Amino acid sequence: MITPAHPPIAITGIGLVTPAGIGREATWERVCSGIPTAARDPALTGLPVDLACRVPDFEPARHLPGVTVRHLDRYSQFALLAAREAVADAGLDPATWDGDRTAVVIGSAAGGVATLEHQHSRLLELGPALVSPLTMPMFLPNMAAGYLAIDLNAHGPVVHTSTACASGATAIAAAADLLRTGACDVVVSGGADAMITPLCAAAFHRLGALSRRTDDPASASRPFDADRDGFVLAEGAGVLVLEREADARRRAAAPYALLVGHGASSDAHHLVRPDRSGAGITRALLTALADADVRSEEVDHVNAHGTGTPLNDITEARVLARVLGQRGAVTSTKGVTGHLMGAAGAVEAALTALTLSHQLIPPTANLHRLQPGIAVDIVARHARSTRLRFAVSTSLGFGGHNAALVLRAA
Amino acid sequence: MSDIRDHLVALLGDTFEVDPATIRPDATLSELGLDSLGVAELLVVLQERWGVPLDEGLGGDDLTVESLTAVVTELRADT
Repeated sequence: MITPAHPPIAITGIGLVTPAGIGREATWERVCSGIPTAARDPALTGLPVDLACRVPDFEPARHLPGVTVRHLDRYSQFALLAAREAVADAGLDPATWDGDRTAVVIGSAAGGVATLEHQHSRLLELGPALVSPLTMPMFLPNMAAGYLAIDLNAHGPVVHTSTACASGATAIAAAADLLRTGACDVVVSGGADAMITPLCAAAFHRLGALSRRTDDPASASRPFDADRDGFVLAEGAGVLVLEREADARRRAAAPYALLVGHGASSDAHHLVRPDRSGAGITRALLTALADADVRSEEVDHVNAHGTGTPLNDITEARVLARVLGQRGAVTSTKGVTGHLMGAAGAVEAALTALTLSHQLIPPTANLHRLQPGIAVDIVARHARSTRLRFAVSTSLGFGGHNAALVLRAA
Repeated sequence: MSDIRDHLVALLGDTFEVDPATIRPDATLSELGLDSLGVAELLVVLQERWGVPLDEGLGGDDLTVESLTAVVTELRADT
């Protein structure tokens, strides 16, 4: 047996708050159903594009005390709920664990941007005296991580990552490194964003990034389809509990999957457009596979970034075809969930772990006519039950950030 | 004055989740569990509701239910 260069990291807990549902099971079920969640959003009424995938029936006061609800922006509320679910799922108790050896790494693209927008309008309308003193603690993008540390009694390294739409994947990679170096024993790691705001929607629309299919919202998020025209803005959080596999086995925890490698790169090409050559994505992917000591032909499945923008999908699919050939079955769960921004990489890492534990690949929703030129096996229409050992989750962000995580069935 | 006091008491009980039994006239905001951030939050709500300028030079968490009510009442009378 080849000794791996790094100790494998066990994913022992998963928490999800997504447009597909509040909770891990609800999200998994909806994602596997392939039924999209996009709808016209009342908060965006009057904008050229008013489509969004919103966390359904989210009433924070049902889950959290009033003071906590008041002190946390929506993105931190998502992170907190997902983190508590993940920790409970892992069978760990923050009251009794060694907090000094517990870390938190949470990615977010925009932090509490809704708070910032709201308070900015108060400043303009009512004056500086009526700006809430909570504005900064609610807005700052590190505050989800900071609050989780308080809530979870985590006194080890507490870090925020920001690589736009790759933030969640970057967070999990950083978390794995904390475990590899022995800086801590448990990491609560993931991503959270709540960017369904008029300013964000208008700004993404001005970039030409959003689907304009307002007459048929359910069909708007259509990764890899020939008729795709952009992504649908979504919100939520995904949080994992990570431990070194040996530690998890010692306490008889059953991992969903193992995180065995990660890689990152930069396109260093353009502020928002991917490098069409795919060189950056390829480098992240190959680095991650090398880190995991996995050959490209061993990859059974890829949970792709697959946003549904014309340029992302063709660029990414070409890289996957070149690196993996026809072997890996590819899906984009964004067809159901929309694009969760900085949470996407974490939610999709969680879904990849669930895919391995269930040996079931969720379908890419709305894929009716494959984009010509895409030569990979994309799972469409129905979830596919198959034997899976190695899987990859890719995440790409504005700014040219590329991240890849390699997971192995436990 | 009683409207202002009633509003303050309701705010402390409902928004700040202070046990209503402890909200006595001479209780300081600090005794009621408000830290400096909580006091700053409370002052913003009172300013907005009563249209008076309040700042933290007022005495912060040493303010009592009664003294804060009196300050708002006086400022209202001045406007």
